[in-house]
Amino acid sequence: MQGRLSAWLVKHGLIHRSLGFDYQGIETLQIKPEDWHSVAVILYVYGYNYLRSQCAYDVAPGGLLASVYHLTRIEYGVDQPEQVCIKVFAPRNNPKIPSVFWVWKSSNFQERESYDMLGIFYDNHPRLKRILMPESWIGWPLRKDYIAPNFYEIQDAH
Amino acid sequence: MAATSISMVACTKFSTLGWIGGRKREVRKRRVFSVSAQQDAEVKETRQMKDEKVEKPRTPLRPVERQVNVKSKNMSVQMGGQWLSSVTRHIRIYAAYIDPETWEFDQTQMDKLTILLDPTKEFVWTDDTANMVFSYFQELVDHYEGAPLTEYTLRLIGSDLEHYIRKLLYDGEIKYNMDARVLNFSMGKPRIMFNHNEGQPQDVQ
Repeated sequence: MQGRLSAWLVKHGLIHRSLGFDYQGIETLQIKPEDWHSVAVILYVYGYNYLRSQCAYDVAPGGLLASVYHLTRIEYGVDQPEQVCIKVFAPRNNPKIPSVFWVWKSSNFQERESYDMLGIFYDNHPRLKRILMPESWIGWPLRKDYIAPNFYEIQDAH
Repeated sequence: MAATSISMVACTKFSTLGWIGGRKREVRKRRVFSVSAQQDAEVKETRQMKDEKVEKPRTPLRPVERQVNVKSKNMSVQMGGQWLSSVTRHIRIYAAYIDPETWEFDQTQMDKLTILLDPTKEFVWTDDTANMVFSYFQELVDHYEGAPLTEYTLRLIGSDLEHYIRKLLYDGEIKYNMDARVLNFSMGKPRIMFNHNEGQPQDVQ
């Protein structure tokens, strides 16, 4: 089962792996981290001019970290735009993924949040620092092996 | 954040100036420990520990000596001042020197930590129980020596102190101050014989 974009990428000799389709029928591809920057530029040139969302998650305890990009091709006069979902997996001990900020500027805060929550280092990001947690925070709160410090919270007050 | 990379190794002195909630008539009552900073200077603090179950001796307090002519410094953002603190309800820790009389807040002295104990006067404190908290604070500060001086570290210390205060409350060492302005029992409702293992109150059948 191969989607349109996957066939197009195969035709141009770009390495990827098809992960099938999600529940909405959107094609899902996996790209290696070292290929991701060039593939992102190619996808932008192809016509995916809109980064609809960027998120990240922890795949499994001790496993990989994933950074997910939902791309849409916005054109005039089209009511069913092409969409694609890209997943980039990075190893937990050195999670480095090239930033797509220089392709889609809207990934700025999204990637900062992914960095803050999961500790994925986005190369060439202009300002990669924590966005939700305090700057002196230690650890990556949304990783599955994160242990929250037992900070004092008021729990019994009424 | 260049200032926060100062290591706590340099912290040979800490100011444990505290003020303690008492009765409402003694609003400005506060306690100052004018013990010098050397470790061997004041050993007489080994007053009798009235709880026998604690066999570990308390960490002796090493407060900094009082300073005169303290001025509030480095408070504004324009001066590059930043609050380095851990503020919870009963424990406020500031990386600064705070004058116990005039409340001048000198943020340039970031090698000192000042703790304010229970500013809202939720508990009734005596000298002894306050010193228990202060000595535990001193122990924690010695424990975290070498850690980066960040809000995270201060919050770890402050949270441990809050848990310690909760333990004191559950052990019956301190009590709620029934004259407090806000009486919401933030560490649990008052109850009888909470932590006494030998004498659990029996249910009436």
